[in-house]
Amino acid sequence: MAAMTTATPSSGQASTRTTGQRYLRPPGALPESEFVRRCIHCGQCGEVCPNRCINYFGLENGLASLDTPYITPREKACILCMKCGEVCPSGAIASIPRTITDITEGVRMGRAQVDKRLCLSYQGKTCGVCYRACPLPDLALRVGMLEQPEVLDACVGCGLCERSCIQMPQAIRIIPDQA
Amino acid sequence: MEKSFLTKQAIGSASKWRHLNKVRWLTMSLVLALLVMLPFLHVYQTYLAAHAYDLLAPGEQKLYDVIEALTAPFVNDPVRDLDAIKGTTWSGRLFGVKMSDPLAVVGQMAAGFDFYKPFVLTALLPVVATLIFGRFFCGWICPANFLYELNTNLGIMLGRFGLQTGRRRLDSKLKYGVLAVGLLICGISGSVVVAAVYPPAILGREIYYAIAHRGMGAGALFFTATLLFDLLVARRGFCRYLCPGGALYSLLGRFRVLRIQRNVVTCNDCTKCNGVCEFGLNPLRDDFGQECNNCTACIAVCPTDALGFKWRITDAANQGPGYQGPRYRHDQKGQQRQVFGNASAKT
Repeated sequence: MAAMTTATPSSGQASTRTTGQRYLRPPGALPESEFVRRCIHCGQCGEVCPNRCINYFGLENGLASLDTPYITPREKACILCMKCGEVCPSGAIASIPRTITDITEGVRMGRAQVDKRLCLSYQGKTCGVCYRACPLPDLALRVGMLEQPEVLDACVGCGLCERSCIQMPQAIRIIPDQA
Repeated sequence: MEKSFLTKQAIGSASKWRHLNKVRWLTMSLVLALLVMLPFLHVYQTYLAAHAYDLLAPGEQKLYDVIEALTAPFVNDPVRDLDAIKGTTWSGRLFGVKMSDPLAVVGQMAAGFDFYKPFVLTALLPVVATLIFGRFFCGWICPANFLYELNTNLGIMLGRFGLQTGRRRLDSKLKYGVLAVGLLICGISGSVVVAAVYPPAILGREIYYAIAHRGMGAGALFFTATLLFDLLVARRGFCRYLCPGGALYSLLGRFRVLRIQRNVVTCNDCTKCNGVCEFGLNPLRDDFGQECNNCTACIAVCPTDALGFKWRITDAANQGPGYQGPRYRHDQKGQQRQVFGNASAKT
């Protein structure tokens, strides 16, 4: 979508391969081009995902990402259980222990971005749903006056805030980090 | 008299392999059943993780109940314990041991030009087994092989109704070309694309998509196309001539230690082994080669138990016509005539 083309760091081949779809790779996934090289399309990450948030590409994102996993946070977001990295045989998704420090250091799915024109809290109607949904409150997301959200550096891009946003279209969304 | 005694002994020693073919069908059915079962177990696990039985649709509740009843005797904590078996034959985890298809490893090495050791090690067990038992994966485990063999039987049935199926013969070296080109495309595209043309990988994935996701994808179409190819163009054509994984297994199993071998003394040249061989090999004249997958179909069909397993790394050279066959008797008589003249014709 438009947000992605403006905000993703435009570093070379990885971004040229994408078709403009906004999707996330599972938590702990290597940078996009490396991930695609490593992934053997076995489908085990989806098969252990207790939240069923991992989907698989058909041909819509190009032949190279056929049958590779992706997450659409607005449909179903990652709960950071880190089971996919544990089961991944090929190292495409790194195995990261489920602790706050390991997750904030190792996971880079993307980063949340608030659209203040859409966000209810910034429009004077106290909301705070995204903050309540965030698995890393006050590390990744902080709320100020009137529950106005502010994204912090530790945001890993799990997408639970985007999933739970009560605005339509969502006022907070994950900008994928696929560099 | 002496000869018949010898024959009986030979039969006694060989017949123990006879039932292996049934074991093989059982193994293949089990693998396919697992591939169907695992996605259901996964879906059940997600229901459990959501703690929302009351919010499930009636059909989902039924599925929950059935799987719960099936698994309850075996697991204490389904969310954790059912993770013991995951994945497909392409790559999977079996009670903590990760195993992958050698083609997955080779494909990844070609795609990334790297050697990721933990992943390479997951193919160790299959590779060692292939070095010993040859291309056994194709005949004993491959879920696609199961369907392909049923497809062959369908072709035979259609033949009984007068519908001719494809009987073309191509060069079996073609698949090594497919393997090479496939790996080359992996390298160029930077993605393990061989997974998209390898039936066992496709089948495992598509079953999973169909049960736990939005339905089958491009792979199902490809697999259907291979079934039609087998039916309309060449019997078992995909496995024999095109499968990249089969090519890799054949290369690995070239000097397999356990081979099927013909006992020329008890063989009666009935040619049933050649007829039943799914891979179009020539057991009748001891020509198995690297393509043989030790599937034991020829052993099961042999009426005189002339085929059995031997520990050796090369096939026996052509041993000629079986001693119980008319051709051998004819040749013997001819020789005797040459030596003794017409006098020996009585025996």
